[in-house]
Amino acid sequence: MDPIIAAFELVMTWQVLTTLLMAALFGLLVGAIPGLTATMATALLVPLTFFMDPIPAVGAMVTCAAMAIFAGDIPSALLRMPGTPASAAYSDEAYAMTRKGQAETVLGACVLFSAIGGLFGTAVLIFAAPALAEIALNFSSPEYFWMALLGLTCSAFIGAASPLKGAVSLLIGLFVATIGLNNPAGVPRFTFGSTEMMAGIDFIPAMIGLFAVSEVFRTIAAGAPPWEGVQGKVGNIFRNWGGMVKTYWRQQIRGNVMGTLIGILPGAGADVAAYVSYAVSRRFSRTPEKFGTGHLEGIVESTSANNASLSSAWIPALVFGIPGDTITAIVIGVLYVKGMNPGPTLFLFNPQTIYAVFLIFILANLLMVPLGWVAIKLAKRLLQAPRTVLMPIILAFCIVGAFGSNNTAYGIIVMLVFGVLGFFMEENDIPIAPCILGIVIGPILERNFITTMIKSDGSIVAFFDRPIAAGLGVFLILVWLSVLVGVIRQRRSGQMSEADQT
Amino acid sequence: MRFSDTMLGAVLLVFGLAGGIYSQSFPAIPGQRYGAAAFPTAIAIGFAACGLAMLAAGWRSAGVPLIMRTEWTRKPGALLAVLVTILCVVAYILFARTIGFIPVMTLILIVLFRMLHVPWWKAIAYAICATLVTDYIFRSILLVPLPFGLMPRMPW
Repeated sequence: MDPIIAAFELVMTWQVLTTLLMAALFGLLVGAIPGLTATMATALLVPLTFFMDPIPAVGAMVTCAAMAIFAGDIPSALLRMPGTPASAAYSDEAYAMTRKGQAETVLGACVLFSAIGGLFGTAVLIFAAPALAEIALNFSSPEYFWMALLGLTCSAFIGAASPLKGAVSLLIGLFVATIGLNNPAGVPRFTFGSTEMMAGIDFIPAMIGLFAVSEVFRTIAAGAPPWEGVQGKVGNIFRNWGGMVKTYWRQQIRGNVMGTLIGILPGAGADVAAYVSYAVSRRFSRTPEKFGTGHLEGIVESTSANNASLSSAWIPALVFGIPGDTITAIVIGVLYVKGMNPGPTLFLFNPQTIYAVFLIFILANLLMVPLGWVAIKLAKRLLQAPRTVLMPIILAFCIVGAFGSNNTAYGIIVMLVFGVLGFFMEENDIPIAPCILGIVIGPILERNFITTMIKSDGSIVAFFDRPIAAGLGVFLILVWLSVLVGVIRQRRSGQMSEADQT
Repeated sequence: MRFSDTMLGAVLLVFGLAGGIYSQSFPAIPGQRYGAAAFPTAIAIGFAACGLAMLAAGWRSAGVPLIMRTEWTRKPGALLAVLVTILCVVAYILFARTIGFIPVMTLILIVLFRMLHVPWWKAIAYAICATLVTDYIFRSILLVPLPFGLMPRMPW
């Protein structure tokens, strides 16, 4: 019981609570602005966390991400522009409801089910993580190798429009991860004589570049036009909450479970969860024909799922040190900086910090209801904020943030290079998320591969020698086969439809 | 700027080959089969494979131009705007150390605001406010050593 009391003492201080509140407002603001994602909100927050204690730092990121994922629903409903990719799955549906004059119903449902979904994911996190940590204590390099590979596979192939482009993005990330001295052999790779590159590519500026700067470029190129057609009137969002829970309890539970499962998978996050859940909801609906015409069912399921996955994505991050999604990929970087090395030993040596993180998760999801209400009330104002003013200021923040991560101009150079890279990737429909996970997971993969090979004297059999490793390996091979079958089937049906046309 | 499958495939293939060949120069770990070169070589093979797959896809859809301008880049000034933004960041990298954070950032913000047609007085006011607030948050609260350059220390 002691660690739990210690956790309460860590969290219930004015400093932490104020930080959480500020982070929540920041997350709501960034999430509610179309084009600015939850990942970007988290990335922009990182430079601020360097100067905080571990608990407020991690708490700020948890709260900010949860709020941003919910807030993404607001412009979805009012503008038909998803605030974050995780809301894109049901953006059309939510907007259709607004046009029918049901803005308060849909936004109310988004607040309510986001909060419940988040709490569900948190509950699973609280109960599953310590149990998994016990198992993870027995893990050695082959198991971590497979886990890392599983994370990479999920990030590139699950939910990707084109597996090939997902793979390209992943390879870019892996390549970036090889730069520098930080490899098992201690050899400088791809540094071309630069001293600064010896330390590798700093992750934080790279993130800021890929997610924030590239978006600034895109918006500025389009002349930062104002958003059109904000649907203003939103009535009482708390209306009929009981009724909604009663009507949609099935969808809600399914969304929670699906979101949590996808979150636990290393490498797949909230946006994948929302897409899959929306599809599942439609598949099992009694009235699939109503989908797309402003029907609440799918929204309930997917908005529950994206917030549930956000919490459960922390399971692989905390237990194995392998990020569950792009947000936890950033968080892992911050955890290392703060001396909370993610992995099973965190549960042994620092249980109070883990409980404090859990507590913050619960607080954040409870805070979502009142703050969400405020955000919805202010949404119209917020969406009238001119982007012509916003974008240059975001760029200024990016520059200072990239500089602040190491206090050198090198960080800004990295940020700029990755900003251009991210811009180019988006132009060519290459997704960005696999690249980020590649950068984070790449070193884990390489280290565990080389370690295993050194232990086994170069025999590949070592990867299947131990029972858990063998199980993970076989599971992964099955995942690959299913991706392959999917691609072949897609191609065949594509050819058939071409043949039909001719 | 949108590369066709053929173009993108060719770029990836060349990159993969170059990376793969360069990786062979990394020294091995003595007595081990897999060393510093193993991982980069695997990535290079991956790049080359993706490149070939894209070339194959490009082969099937012949007649697509190698580099296409996406819809928004055809708007006059769009690419120029991106270029100016990039140059602003470069200018910050080059001059912030000698001239200082506050003047350089204010200038950059004014340039960007004006490019997006924010009226002059608003552009100047917003630029100064945003710079001073950033300076206060990052230098004074978060202790990031933003370069002073020519500027005297702000009173906060």
